[in-house]
Amino acid sequence: MLKGIRLNDMKNMSISNEIVDMSEPSNVFVPLINDNILCECITKKGRKVRKGTIIGIRKDIDFPILSPVSGTVLGIKKCLYLNDKIIDCVEIANDRLERVIKKQIVKDITSYTKEEFIDILKKCSISGMSGSDFPTYLKYECKLNTLIVNAVESEPYITSDSMLVKLKAEIILECIDAIMKINGIKKCFIAFKENNIIVKNSFLKYLDKYDNIILFPVKDVYPIGYEKYLIKLISNLDYDKKTEEVGIVMNNVTTIFAIYKALKFKRNITKRIITISGEGFTEPINVLVKIGTSMSSVIKKIGKYNGENLKIIANGPMMGNALRSDSVIATANLNGIVIIEDVNDKVMNCINCGKCLEVCPAKICPVFIMKNINDIEKLKKFKPEKCIECGLCSYICPSKIGLRDAVKSAKKKVMNK
Amino acid sequence: MKFKIENGPHIKGQDSTSKIMMRLLIALMPIVCYAIFKNTILVYFATKATIIEALHPVFMILTGVLTSLISEILYIKFILKNTNTLTFKELSKSFAFIPGLFLALVLPVNTPLWLVAIGAISASIIGKMIFGGFGQNIFNPALVGYLLISSSYSVLIGNYFNLYELDTIASATPLTNLSDLSYYGTYEMVVGNYGTLFNFLSGTIPGALGEVSKILIIFAFIYLVITKTIKWKIPVLYVSTVFFMTYIIGSVAGLDMWYPVFHILSGGLLFGAVFMATDPVTSPTTSNGQILYGISLGIMTVIFRFLTSYPEGVMTSILLMNLFVPVFDKIGLKMRNNKDKNNISYILIFLLISLVVILISNNILTAKNNVNQEEVNKVKIISIEKINNKTKYVLQSKGWDEIKAEVEVIDKEIKSIIITDNSGETQWNEIEKANYIYKLIANQNNIDDLDAISGSTKTSEGLKNIVKKVKMEEK
Repeated sequence: MLKGIRLNDMKNMSISNEIVDMSEPSNVFVPLINDNILCECITKKGRKVRKGTIIGIRKDIDFPILSPVSGTVLGIKKCLYLNDKIIDCVEIANDRLERVIKKQIVKDITSYTKEEFIDILKKCSISGMSGSDFPTYLKYECKLNTLIVNAVESEPYITSDSMLVKLKAEIILECIDAIMKINGIKKCFIAFKENNIIVKNSFLKYLDKYDNIILFPVKDVYPIGYEKYLIKLISNLDYDKKTEEVGIVMNNVTTIFAIYKALKFKRNITKRIITISGEGFTEPINVLVKIGTSMSSVIKKIGKYNGENLKIIANGPMMGNALRSDSVIATANLNGIVIIEDVNDKVMNCINCGKCLEVCPAKICPVFIMKNINDIEKLKKFKPEKCIECGLCSYICPSKIGLRDAVKSAKKKVMNK
Repeated sequence: MKFKIENGPHIKGQDSTSKIMMRLLIALMPIVCYAIFKNTILVYFATKATIIEALHPVFMILTGVLTSLISEILYIKFILKNTNTLTFKELSKSFAFIPGLFLALVLPVNTPLWLVAIGAISASIIGKMIFGGFGQNIFNPALVGYLLISSSYSVLIGNYFNLYELDTIASATPLTNLSDLSYYGTYEMVVGNYGTLFNFLSGTIPGALGEVSKILIIFAFIYLVITKTIKWKIPVLYVSTVFFMTYIIGSVAGLDMWYPVFHILSGGLLFGAVFMATDPVTSPTTSNGQILYGISLGIMTVIFRFLTSYPEGVMTSILLMNLFVPVFDKIGLKMRNNKDKNNISYILIFLLISLVVILISNNILTAKNNVNQEEVNKVKIISIEKINNKTKYVLQSKGWDEIKAEVEVIDKEIKSIIITDNSGETQWNEIEKANYIYKLIANQNNIDDLDAISGSTKTSEGLKNIVKKVKMEEK
């Protein structure tokens, strides 16, 4: 069973402040990417678009990229994505009229069939909003018996999921109920950290109506929010590659909210809550932004940087990437921006203390992988492909060695062979 | 605004290698202080030693620390040909003084300073720098120095007695004493010369500088485990294995719980287990590797103590097992990947334990018989009177004091024992209460199985020896 490490979660910095609405940018930039696969642009400069107009497409699975605003396409511009790569984005001038293709409200969101449900998820371009950006409809394509809603928020500093639950708990529960009825799912667990009182109380207020939805508090240890460990913890089941093998589907709580929008209004998600926090920022807060907003303008309006030698990190300090600039684009899978001081730790020689082996949740051996990084035959035996890149080995290492980088490169070597 | 780009994770744990080393030093401090108290302050006030003589242990520690430091600086500067700033940078990451400090703590209190210096140079250069410096060495550097000087200068290495102990205790260290006894002896013979086992715990017995105060080492162990500084499995399994094996060996020879406790509290076992065997660089990284390493150290130490001429064995075992760390890690990694393979190495190691225990038990039983035989031989026959098939012995045996008895034998069977003098035996009423004389006659053919009366062991043994002596004569 996962032991994990209790991190200093720093969530109080941003959770206590009111959410700020910054959702009216003049221009938006929509990255042509889904789940790290580049997509094709299918719009042209000067074309008028509305919310939900298809502007790009992922060719292999026909997954659409939709416009989050109404306005005029200004062209293709290279912008910074949350993985610190510069990629092609469609720039759209926002006319702030919020026009949609077709106004429609579905009264009873449980009335869909499973096929219609999958179709609408795909058409509304719903994908994982906790970081992965994996198309959600793919998870529902088989027979399911359990839904797990992930509201754990493993990463320190990030509070956007908790904030959403605080504001929209009722709607989220309604949507979970609908998803269960449509897919014939018998049971739903909402996993959250046992010390997260905001999430607990917000759900408890509306939970009486739903018999099959169970709150599932988990210990505050990292990386307990990881799919594999959460499923093991809740249903004591192991799976090889996909959760669907054991009839379980897991969604992030923000993704559930996006599904609600799709079911209720048949349109895509156009805004999301993003946490801006960290010791290097004067006003830690949650902001509501339009998808496609360049974060530099938002950050500038809210507060100031505090200190020299800062790092700006997309999606939390454990698994997120450091960015070269603050002009990163707010995408659906960006849940927070953390600005912290760069602690320049002196790297020392490995002393074989074995802490990385003790702490590794995937039960691999980071230090041995690092020491045999050039010997592919040996690397295979160490199974680096099992690494979930949680970063605990680098976190715990007293000699401050970048073990995760070593395991990641070993993983690449073994998988390419 | 410029931002730093770096691979994650972007927050790091609070613990660092420097802090680990610092905690190790904190744990050592009370032990060093006690060593100085016992061998310097106590010696100065209780004997006629001069200040210089009394301060010898302090000089030993200083010599060890400084020599290690200097030899490493010179090595980095001149052999690796670094600039001054680089040398300083390297030095700040390599904890150069540690090998010399540990070396001084495992050496006997009277080791000449020049020998300490040679040991510290070889510890730092041969034990550490040649392998590539901190983190790269295969052997525990301090032990490399120790082995080198103890094998080439075994006479010079000095004895374990400080000047005060030379005045009061005039025999060998407890383990040498045990070795001279062929590993079998009563509590009085093994422990009695040094006080009680409590003296072993508190450290008022002769031994190497840092090794004697077991209670401080146990406190250090607890501190190091709580602060997650050392691999706790190694010392726990090491000491348990020694305890388990010596317990069985002891009980085969009819010795009580004090025997394994004596083994654990003697010599460098606890110090070696807590500080030397857990040296992170030279011990296994995998959890199962650590368990197997600890058990193997225990077996090796028992082998060294009982089956070789070295009465100590801890340091040599650790140095020897350092060589096999990659093997233990290989097994540990296999177990980590594949849980089914768990059993084989544990079964093997259990068989090894059994084998060693059987071998040693056999030796110790021989030793026991010899000791018993000597005791029987000490019984004096004052007179023998033979009338027909009846024989009457008058004997004198040793209990607390002299016991005199008349024994009547008919057809090689003891018919009666009459005690004529028991004036020296203070607990005689216990003997009478237990009807011990009658029991002696009843069990005369398997007298070894008859237990002594607790509270008057010596008297019982004296009486049993009378029966044995008569039986011997009748044969």
